[in-house]
Amino acid sequence: MQQAPVKKKKKIRVPRVVNGVETMVEIEIDDEGGPGWGANDKHALLNHHLRRVDGPLKVSGIAEYTYDKQAPGMLYGRLLRSPHAHARVLKIDVTAAQRMSGVKAVISITDKPAQDASAAGTKPSEPRDTIVNFAGEPVAAVAADTPEIAGDAIRAIKVDYEALPHVVRADDALKDGAPKVYPEGNLEQRDSQGFATKVAAAWEQCDVVLEAEYRTPIVHHACLETHGHMIDYRGGDTATVYASTQGTFTIPGDAAKELGLMESNVTAIVEHMGGGFGSKFGIGIEGALACRLAKQAKAPVKLMLTRQDEFLLAGNRSGSWQKFKAGVNKDGSLVALQALQYQLGGLGDGSQAGQPYIYSAANRYRERFAIHTNEDSSRAMRAPGHPQASYAIECLMDDLAYKIGMDPVEFRKKNLTDKVYHRQLDRGAREIGWDRRNQTPGSANGPLKRGMGCGIGTWGGGGGPQCKVDVTIARDGSVMVAVGTQDLGTGTRTYTRAIVAEELGLQLTDVIEKIGNSTLGAANASGGSTTTASLAPAVKVAANKARMAMAEQLAPLLGSVKPEEITFGNGNVTGGGKSLSWRQAAAALPSAGVTARGEWRADLAASGVHGVCFAEVEVDVETGRVRPIKMVHVQDIGLPLNRLATESQINGGMIQSLGMALWEGRVMDVKLGIQLNPGFGDYKLPGCAEMPELVAIIDDEDKREAVIGVGEPSIIPSVGALANAVFNACGVRVHDLPITPDKILMALTNGRTTA
Amino acid sequence: MKAFEWANPTTVGEAVQLLKSASAGSDLDEAARPIAGGQDLLTTMKDYTTRPSRVVNLKNIRGLDLIQGNAKTGLTIGALVTLTQLEEHPLVRASFPGLAEAAHSVATPQIRNLGTVGGNLCQRPRCWYFRLEEVICLKKGGSECYAAKGENKYNAILGGGPSYIVHPSDLAPMLVALGASVSVFGADGRRVIPLDKFFTLPNENIRRENVLRNDEIIMHIQVPASPVAARSTYLKFKERESMDFAMASVAAAVQLGGNKTVRQVRLVLGGVAPIPWRTPEAEQFLLGKTLSADVLAEAARLALKGAQPLEKNGYKVPLAQTLVRRALAKAGGMAA
Repeated sequence: MQQAPVKKKKKIRVPRVVNGVETMVEIEIDDEGGPGWGANDKHALLNHHLRRVDGPLKVSGIAEYTYDKQAPGMLYGRLLRSPHAHARVLKIDVTAAQRMSGVKAVISITDKPAQDASAAGTKPSEPRDTIVNFAGEPVAAVAADTPEIAGDAIRAIKVDYEALPHVVRADDALKDGAPKVYPEGNLEQRDSQGFATKVAAAWEQCDVVLEAEYRTPIVHHACLETHGHMIDYRGGDTATVYASTQGTFTIPGDAAKELGLMESNVTAIVEHMGGGFGSKFGIGIEGALACRLAKQAKAPVKLMLTRQDEFLLAGNRSGSWQKFKAGVNKDGSLVALQALQYQLGGLGDGSQAGQPYIYSAANRYRERFAIHTNEDSSRAMRAPGHPQASYAIECLMDDLAYKIGMDPVEFRKKNLTDKVYHRQLDRGAREIGWDRRNQTPGSANGPLKRGMGCGIGTWGGGGGPQCKVDVTIARDGSVMVAVGTQDLGTGTRTYTRAIVAEELGLQLTDVIEKIGNSTLGAANASGGSTTTASLAPAVKVAANKARMAMAEQLAPLLGSVKPEEITFGNGNVTGGGKSLSWRQAAAALPSAGVTARGEWRADLAASGVHGVCFAEVEVDVETGRVRPIKMVHVQDIGLPLNRLATESQINGGMIQSLGMALWEGRVMDVKLGIQLNPGFGDYKLPGCAEMPELVAIIDDEDKREAVIGVGEPSIIPSVGALANAVFNACGVRVHDLPITPDKILMALTNGRTTA
Repeated sequence: MKAFEWANPTTVGEAVQLLKSASAGSDLDEAARPIAGGQDLLTTMKDYTTRPSRVVNLKNIRGLDLIQGNAKTGLTIGALVTLTQLEEHPLVRASFPGLAEAAHSVATPQIRNLGTVGGNLCQRPRCWYFRLEEVICLKKGGSECYAAKGENKYNAILGGGPSYIVHPSDLAPMLVALGASVSVFGADGRRVIPLDKFFTLPNENIRRENVLRNDEIIMHIQVPASPVAARSTYLKFKERESMDFAMASVAAAVQLGGNKTVRQVRLVLGGVAPIPWRTPEAEQFLLGKTLSADVLAEAARLALKGAQPLEKNGYKVPLAQTLVRRALAKAGGMAA
């Protein structure tokens, strides 16, 4: 549901993100007024196509990522991972590794904390009883002069394991006698909603009842820059931590604890980072181990995960297994819907939006459970739980619509109360050419069959009061906006500049931004699409305050004019019948220039977005190949700060969902309990040749003059849209992602469907 | 990767001596290894699945990076010729089109710029159990082929057992179809091996995929002049078009006689067996036939006769059959 920006209210509900998962909390805010954004179509810079200011640095290779950081005497860290999915570590012998030339520090999970060794009654030589719970769990780490020596050294560590029974498949985890991942068992109820008895009584009223189940595997964030840090610590009281993180301010506290320093003496730096997608909050196990290595060696340590590490221990999107029974009337109204939802987050909780997601059903009941397995914990990943839920319900909606012979778009409208979806469905249908679609799935002639499908998603994307932004106008006319926030590649640097430049009547190149440093003003971690809706209002307020501070200095010079009557535009400052160039105006400032701090204002942000995706694919029914032809995504967003970046976000979401729908998925060996495809060769991300025509449409019918985050919603509806397009093309439904050629061929060979 | 000695010979004689002297007594995966483009070897070394004590660089040996010959005499392709050189060579494109297609189908432009013809023929299997350092499978001296009862979607449906790898080379099926041979040089001298005798099944040698000894290197590949070469084609089906190995592939080469009947034909399957898989029954059936939908279907059936899919790779049978039909239609100039 679109929420309007809040006007002058004391208590509001805002999203708060903990480890990437968004929850709503009520907060109190000041009732102060202030400048609004103004009409969405009246901006000089905002809501235009702005090229990202860090683009040239990135494409020329000048931008320094954590991966690139170097320091004098820096060591390279590597992790030793457990090859067992479940085992007791009996003994870790690091002596051979320690003796290797070039090895400067070795630590293991059986090391005793320093204070324990001196504690009375403990035997320092006796190893702890330590259990590893997934294949890939770190058991030791090494820091050495080169990455190659570190690699050799971890292999010189001898670990004695006693293998314990493991389970890595959800179906197996539910069986009687399955190894218990947690003492309480492998199944944990998350919620139940609705009325089971009413649903049971409603089946009789339905014209058609359908049962179906859909599965999605664990998929990976696949950040191009792996997780990791460069811990610049050489002994002493202070440290600088370069981090590939979504939360600059999540780093100092974590690192200080491991290094034994005061939090304020640890500075986190995040200049550029190569993707997080929800997986990079806090320093994590790899950061903690890097700190301990640096502390032991009293030397800087860079520990970036290898690509295998990244797949095995840096989190993932939880898998899903959803079972439905649904009944409709011939007119298309959903009479009853029952859902059994399992979220498959390994050791973690996993996430899944509750069914029937955005749809209305007269009678409904759902139960949601987590199934635990011996796999690393899932983490937040771009719209946690939503693509899984959307994919399943959108497949079900199509299956029901076809069953009663109704246009899938009309069927959806019948069961959606929010009219924004209706308008977006119409827009998307027009753009893809919905009228051209197969009326009967699989009915096209020849082996190459085209099909279309659609899907729908929703997200929050609101902000909260965490950012403190400083805007400084110097006497030479230069302008700096400073805040500790991070740019995940989402365009934070660019819009931060643009807001200030527009407020001061300048160009993008007239402002510089300083971000990614924990000594600058506080900022929230980037989760739940809350960065922009939290940051942009604070930037706007800071820029406006700086402008007013400058105007107050200039008013006497311009004659009889009130500060608020002075206008800033086209590089000029105008008032009282006079006009100064920006440089002339700045020269009139005191020697220190002016600085103003801005904080968040609720009325500048909103939340609640809608997205609709249409996809067209071509299926070769003799090989099973799916060729994506075109994808269209319609997204409301309130005020798009930068249309180019917004469209890029939407394109990125479509691309990532394309991977989830057609190629990506963790493959586990049930017997060995290990992942078989922990690399970019076997874990197949789509590449350039897989790209369809991508059409990102910003829904400008949304007139909210407020900022909303839009990083996540664009990955949600397209998974279902693609699955439905495949079904429409070839007439067989593959019920488990990814929809690969083998599944399509076997489904076509074996009949209508695969389970 | 494990520390190793780097050797830089300038002659094949030196190279094989350097390979021989560092190989005695060591495990196969620790024996000295030759390196050319390094596109496969380096990945295995980074994963510690190959741990050579010495790496012998072949790139300084002169004369192995040339494509010589013509359509009448046949081709001599140096082992150090890159895949890019091969796919772009005008003579190859004009007279051995299937070979250019096979080279083009490999990996990515970057890999083809460095990867060599010799290296492509000698690359190790892609089976994920084999590639993972943590798994000591049958091919690495272990006691079990985990793919046999595990995740075997990409594994063999023909010629498997006791290991079920598929050979990853795209050049190999095409070169076998074209009747190529390799000249090999080792400590014991030179030998010429027909390519269809070069690759070995797991039941012949579980640890290796070909007959090369540790001290032997490929010098040249000879592709004879052949009446089927001009109508050759390589169809490769990749799960991911941008960059992938074959889920299945077909190398086909046809000579048509009077009335457009098949006078000669070669049909070799890739991606479905531990070696390039020849299909004599299908070839025999096709002789003298006019290509038609029915003929193609029967040829496809015969080509996959004897396939024994594992639990998760049954799809390879209809997939390879489709490719056989399409490759024959293309090579035979039939409208698809």
